[in-house]
Amino acid sequence: MLPEIGHFALIISLMTAILQVLLPSIGMLRGSVVLMQLAKPLSWMQLFWVVLSFALLMNAFVIDDFSVKYVASNSNTQLPDIFKMSAVWGAHEGSLLLWALILSAWSVAVSIFSKRLPTQVVNHILIILGLISVGFLLFLLLTSNPFERLDIVPIQGRELNPLLQDFGLIVHPPILYMGYVGMAVPFAFVLSALIRGQLDSTWLKWSRPWTLVAWACLTFGIVLGSWWAYYELGWGGWWFWDPVENASFMPWLVATALVHSLSVSEKRGAFKHWTVLLAISGFSLSLLGTFLVRSGILTSVHSFASDPDRGLFVLIFLMIVVGGSLVLYAWRANLMRSSNKFSPLSRESGLLMNNILLVAATLSVFLGTLYPLLLDSFGLGKISVGAPYFDTVFVPIMIPAVLIMAIGAFLRWKEDSVGRMIDATIHTVFIAIMITLITYLSIDNIYVALAVFLFIWVVLHSLLLLAQRLIKKSNINSSFLGMILAHIGIAVFLLGATVTTQYGVEKDIKMTPNEMVEIEGYSFTFKGVNNFKGQNYTGYKGVVEVGYKGERIAILKPEKRQYVTGMPMTEAAIDPSFYRDIYIALGESLGDGAWSVRLYYKPLIRWIWLGGIFITLGALLAAFDRRYRIRVRAKS
Amino acid sequence: MSLYLWFVLMLVISVLWLIWFLYRPLKSNTLNLENSNIALGRQKKEELEQDLQSNLIDEQAFEQAKDEIVQTLSIEIEQINDIIDNTQQSIPIWLIVLILVFLPSTSLFVYESLTSYTTPTVHTEKMTTLAQSIVKIRQRVEEKPDDAAAWRMLGLALFKSNEIDLSLEAYESSYQLESKNIGMLVEYASTLAISQNNQFTGRVSTLVREALEIDVNSTDALYLAGWVAINAQQFDLAQKFWQRTLSLLSNNQPERAILQNVLNELSQMQNENTQPIQQHQVTINITISEHLHQVNFQKHYLMIYIKATQGSPMPIAIQKIQLKDFNGVVVLTDKNSVIPSKKLSQSSKVLVVVRLSKSGSAMRQVSDIEAVSQVIDVRDNPVVELKL
Repeated sequence: MLPEIGHFALIISLMTAILQVLLPSIGMLRGSVVLMQLAKPLSWMQLFWVVLSFALLMNAFVIDDFSVKYVASNSNTQLPDIFKMSAVWGAHEGSLLLWALILSAWSVAVSIFSKRLPTQVVNHILIILGLISVGFLLFLLLTSNPFERLDIVPIQGRELNPLLQDFGLIVHPPILYMGYVGMAVPFAFVLSALIRGQLDSTWLKWSRPWTLVAWACLTFGIVLGSWWAYYELGWGGWWFWDPVENASFMPWLVATALVHSLSVSEKRGAFKHWTVLLAISGFSLSLLGTFLVRSGILTSVHSFASDPDRGLFVLIFLMIVVGGSLVLYAWRANLMRSSNKFSPLSRESGLLMNNILLVAATLSVFLGTLYPLLLDSFGLGKISVGAPYFDTVFVPIMIPAVLIMAIGAFLRWKEDSVGRMIDATIHTVFIAIMITLITYLSIDNIYVALAVFLFIWVVLHSLLLLAQRLIKKSNINSSFLGMILAHIGIAVFLLGATVTTQYGVEKDIKMTPNEMVEIEGYSFTFKGVNNFKGQNYTGYKGVVEVGYKGERIAILKPEKRQYVTGMPMTEAAIDPSFYRDIYIALGESLGDGAWSVRLYYKPLIRWIWLGGIFITLGALLAAFDRRYRIRVRAKS
Repeated sequence: MSLYLWFVLMLVISVLWLIWFLYRPLKSNTLNLENSNIALGRQKKEELEQDLQSNLIDEQAFEQAKDEIVQTLSIEIEQINDIIDNTQQSIPIWLIVLILVFLPSTSLFVYESLTSYTTPTVHTEKMTTLAQSIVKIRQRVEEKPDDAAAWRMLGLALFKSNEIDLSLEAYESSYQLESKNIGMLVEYASTLAISQNNQFTGRVSTLVREALEIDVNSTDALYLAGWVAINAQQFDLAQKFWQRTLSLLSNNQPERAILQNVLNELSQMQNENTQPIQQHQVTINITISEHLHQVNFQKHYLMIYIKATQGSPMPIAIQKIQLKDFNGVVVLTDKNSVIPSKKLSQSSKVLVVVRLSKSGSAMRQVSDIEAVSQVIDVRDNPVVELKL
């Protein structure tokens, strides 16, 4: 009975979302405050029913109710309890329910934390968020009901994909979805402003902290996904240009541009067209990501759901959102007139260039992701677009973006001069070039030298900027500190990614007991393999002694697991450190105690995720700036 | 409480919540856009002055930017169309009635529409045991005897509960209703083979052929076709079937490892077949305890078989006799080999298993009694003592 209640709770939440759109809209047309104010209570009620529905689905997993098709397909009695709970979002239907839950949670957050916005503006935004909820709840109920019953109840459920039986699954999807769905908030702010015809400072000011929080979640979600792929897939990689990874990366790039564009619009009243279009694109790309994953158009480790009907639904929804938003934009474009002028050398120009480069980078990823699909669907053959394309197209676009990022903050608003800029940055440029030259001469690797240059370039300029403010005792707010931290994060990421790619060592070798090999000064002694048993798997655990300069530094135990359903899994063993990771994955038994073993030496790989954490923290610092707590006088 | 009572309760909560906020509306924060934009304009000016102090803007541009802030503010104020001035506090009765009717009726209507395509079943308790599941499926096939999928499900459930004969009957019913279901054909063939002590001959080979006629690339059917070929001593054909199966399996499918082992065993066996084989035998003395000699055990079956110490659990040689006919000694030779191509004499390290079973089923059941020997070497023609 509980799953039926969960299903019904979802239906009530759909009806509530419909009322959240209808009643306040009628209130606005009739000028009724009573009806308009219902937007908030209706958003709370919607969240309540979605939470109940989600809790009942989780309960079905915990008590092994295999009469529910979704539970039977993704869980079994031997699955540890923690993974039974996280299995709720381990496949399509549950992840969509999580999506709906997060969307209604964002709506409630907007209704509670927008106290400095006029109530009618908040109500307007909640109507738009309600409309998006209607779309997603309809999608869930019509094509992806997680509470569907089985006529014949199986004795045992199927195995949750062992790749997903990991801490990563518990945290990565919810955080990433927070970012994806969070892009609906700036979108709702923009749409509300377009509908009201009031593209003013209020909209620009208050949509920025929401955009920053969504961007922080998106960044952290992507970082977690990369870290999960690294330790869980056993390949030692951290980014694969997988189409679904790209689907999350595209909204991130656009959100990055949006955060910068908003800062100009907010301070100088310029770039309003950019801001509106970026907010629409950010959410549209989130929907496109959903379409790519759900439609079955892609073959990917992430494409756990493939159903053309679902794809068609999302495609229609996407067309309505993009088409409707662009029509609104065209209708209101004349309201975004701006008389604010700036010269080609100014902070505005720097940020404009940043927007152009980020959008160009997004388009390059978009092309690389969708071009093979379009060719295939028109019967023009199959091609594979991977790292070589992205390295050739994406990276050259991002290099100038990083260069501008560092010195952009030194540029003056409206107008600046070349001479002043040279005076301001000459020393740092000189230091960066000298260190790069020394690096290049000592290592003879152009890519690493370039990465070192960009790292020094960004870090030096960021620190110089901070030092100047400290010396002049200028206002240092958390928004400024957030910017510094996020920019340093980009530099840290860049250096980590380049060094690990250029100097990482990978060896696939056969090892017999007590055999030793050396990689980059580290000795690896294979001690053999033992059998072991987990809660829902059996497996082999290898023992490898790692030494450095004659001293044992770690004993690593890579695993090869066989889950009850027969699915094999590799669990890598990692000795992490700030400077390098030692990574070992166990391959196949080759007889007579010998095993194939994959050994990796990964210098600076942790810097990749450290950079991501810096960016996340920077975004959060900026989002909670004191400037967003400005008091507005009540109506006189 | 019945399901619909729960639904009514949920709807009552929702409606009460709405009515509460209709009669006790939330207070607006009394801010308006004009004041908000003016406050923000003021903040922009302050920040601009800070920018001037921080040398982020020069004097001339500062004055220009200040003018722009004022200009922007005037445009914003001009655009404001505050609707709050035209408020109407009363709520028309028709709207309340509409809400009271809309929420419950549409919710129930949507629920009924979405669940009407399946038989509405309210599951009040969790299904946990195989027996309960079988009862449920039996009820289903009694209600809908033309449901081929349900018969197949019954066949599978009965197979899992070791009721092989009944399982075969269920599969036959499914076959009669829908003979073109490849999954069912493969399951039926596998069950039939097990009932024949792993002999992939006769009807089994017919079912496998029918499955391959439907889909020549079915990996399950190809795998079974390999065993049919082995039974017919067509080792090259078996190898072709399995190699084709292997090529069709993706890299991450666990069946690959199993198939690779089978192929390795086959090639090893083919190598051994080229060499002359010396005949070996295993003599098994079995002591039956007193209480098993009682009348109610006399119709039980003794399954005496030899299996490899590692790898496939399939017997190498087997003999099945009723307890009443057993004289205490069994000698297993090449004649008892399950697969003609893999004779007992070709084996080395093995285990001897004796199992007393009521059904005589090939698969071990909960009530069976079993004894297993130490590892022995067939090449020594050993004599094994076992006690039940």
